[in-house]
Amino acid sequence: MTDQTAVLRDVRRGMIPAHIYNDSETFALEKERLFGRAWLFVAHESEIPAPGDYVVRRVLEDSFIVTRDESGEIRAHFNMCLHRGMQVCRAEMGNASHFRCPYHGWSYRNDGRIVGLPFHQDAYGGEAGFRRKGQRLLPAPNLATYNGMIFISLDPDAPPLEDFLGDFRFYLDYYTRQSPSGIELRGPQRWRIKANWKIGAENFAGDMYHTPQTHTSVVEIGLFREPKAEKRKDGATYWAGNGGGTTYKLPPGDLDERLRYVGYPQEMIDRMKAAWSPQQSQVIGRDGFMISAASLFPNLSLVHNWPRVADSEAVLPFISIRQWQPISENETEVLSWFAVDAEAPEEFKALSYKAYLMCFGSTGMFEQDDVENWVSLTNTAAGSMARRLLLNSRMGLLEDGVQVSPTLTPDEFAGPGTARTGYSEYNQRELLNRWADHLERPQPRAATVEVGTGHGPDSCDAEPAGTDTAPRRSEGDPKETRS
Amino acid sequence: MSTDTTPPPIGGLSARSPLGAGASRLQRTGRTLPFGDRRHQEAHQWLTDETYLLDAQRYEEWLTLLTEDIHYLMPVRVTTALGSGYDTSPGMAHFDEDKYSLSRRVARFLTEHAWTEDPPSRMRHHIGNVRTFATADPDHLIAESSVLLFRSRGDVNEPALVSAGREDLLRRGPDGWLLARRTIMADEAVLRMQNLAVFL
Ligand code: FES
Ligand SMILES: [Fe+2]
Repeated sequence: MTDQTAVLRDVRRGMIPAHIYNDSETFALEKERLFGRAWLFVAHESEIPAPGDYVVRRVLEDSFIVTRDESGEIRAHFNMCLHRGMQVCRAEMGNASHFRCPYHGWSYRNDGRIVGLPFHQDAYGGEAGFRRKGQRLLPAPNLATYNGMIFISLDPDAPPLEDFLGDFRFYLDYYTRQSPSGIELRGPQRWRIKANWKIGAENFAGDMYHTPQTHTSVVEIGLFREPKAEKRKDGATYWAGNGGGTTYKLPPGDLDERLRYVGYPQEMIDRMKAAWSPQQSQVIGRDGFMISAASLFPNLSLVHNWPRVADSEAVLPFISIRQWQPISENETEVLSWFAVDAEAPEEFKALSYKAYLMCFGSTGMFEQDDVENWVSLTNTAAGSMARRLLLNSRMGLLEDGVQVSPTLTPDEFAGPGTARTGYSEYNQRELLNRWADHLERPQPRAATVEVGTGHGPDSCDAEPAGTDTAPRRSEGDPKETRS
Repeated sequence: MSTDTTPPPIGGLSARSPLGAGASRLQRTGRTLPFGDRRHQEAHQWLTDETYLLDAQRYEEWLTLLTEDIHYLMPVRVTTALGSGYDTSPGMAHFDEDKYSLSRRVARFLTEHAWTEDPPSRMRHHIGNVRTFATADPDHLIAESSVLLFRSRGDVNEPALVSAGREDLLRRGPDGWLLARRTIMADEAVLRMQNLAVFL
């Protein structure tokens, strides 16, 4: 492998070697050192509300069954049978009390414990040959949730999720906690784009500069009134903890007026005011900044916009959460969810969903033009000329490091972290600096787990993993347990 | 999550959509119309003429073929176990459109700043397997078809394909048939196309 020291050094001074957007060696390092370590979003609790509900999600090539077990606990099982390694669950979502491997019929409860092992006595000589007791599908090395968002880390020594998120939680709440009930997530739409995964993450983190140009058409057709260049640069970008994002500056008004300006009905505003801290309310009500796009390192993005969804002046806000799931150095699977406050009126939910579809996702009129750019960029980054080009990602800084616009004071911006108004690439640099930190640090090889020998994963409890119990499920098809 | 054990007819998905309230609920009746039936021939010709407009990206003309109450729906397909009773993502779609949102999409293509189609894609909608059905209302027909969209952009990347089945509700208008409801069932859970800046 080529020495990456020079590349990482350039990245840290805001000079980006263009090939990092399409380079197989870089991607190999990202797999091992970044995606093998960072906290990664896999699902939201609202996607699996009932015991037995599951969704199957990947972290690069690793498939996980993210499920709510019979006791209500959220779990993520590595989707590989402990016998010969067959994929245990081949559906994408469903409800099952058990998963039965189609190859030789081993079965697992939805808490991961092995429960059925055909001919255990005849084939293995019982426990003396294969210790079934305490065996379970390999759990994700780390799992934690915030506002119902389920994250896993492949690093058993990952810092606590709360520490990883840090002060970005303050901003995450705007998207995921507009009431005590939090959000419900729908989707995702999934599609593949021939673009490097980092481009989307950087764009959502801080690229206010692209909005007036890339998204000219959505203003022209009356879909969104805000991205006009003058308006966009009055917004602030912020970075806090492991994430950052962009805002729009709203017209004068108090908190209620500004939330109404972007289309929230009063009953939702009342719940937001109760759910948010005084500082969270101040960013909007006192300082006039409304959150828009954001990214959480490494590959999760969020967006909040307020387009017109009918032939009237009224606007409707929507929220989308999206993941840039890397497939290779030049291909990304986009998973794009629609999110809405669970307590919102049904009418609002329907129109907010419409707003989402018109703007973002596989058919979204914003997203269409974004992706066209990113695919093009990725193609261009593949060759040898791109290796000679250091892209200047220093927007917002003079050559001597002096800031073009000053950091906002706590009186101007009530949120934690660092915020500035105007166009800049601070957030893109923050993202890529973290990327460089991971890429230069080797990831120790993870401990291996032996199946059935007594050196396996610890038994989670003393309950004997006895005979096959009949699938309890009344809802859902028992066949699903064979999937 | 559905508790049904049989998937609903495709056209029935429209009624389940959060945005499908205004759409016609008419469903097919009886067996397929014979290929020699005049109604079948008219529907088939309508689909072929429509396909020409979509390939040529003559979207303004295409809009005039849609009724004011159209529901244009393309659910998100999901992989589920056999017998689970559903294979679309509950409450989510790629397209879930009324005449207004479709008209905005068309208006956008007519601006000079819809970068995703400038330069334009080379597109070919291959349609086939056309079957038609009567409905309870003689002024409405159901037309089923399959569509394979081939889309090529630029000169670097491979072309992209979308394969789908469609069920259309056609309504007799003063100057010919109009599209009152379309349900598009993609054959992939994960689309292999950079966006759906297209119509199917
Ligand atoms: S691989 Fe043999 S039972 Fe799963
Ligand atoms: Fe954008």
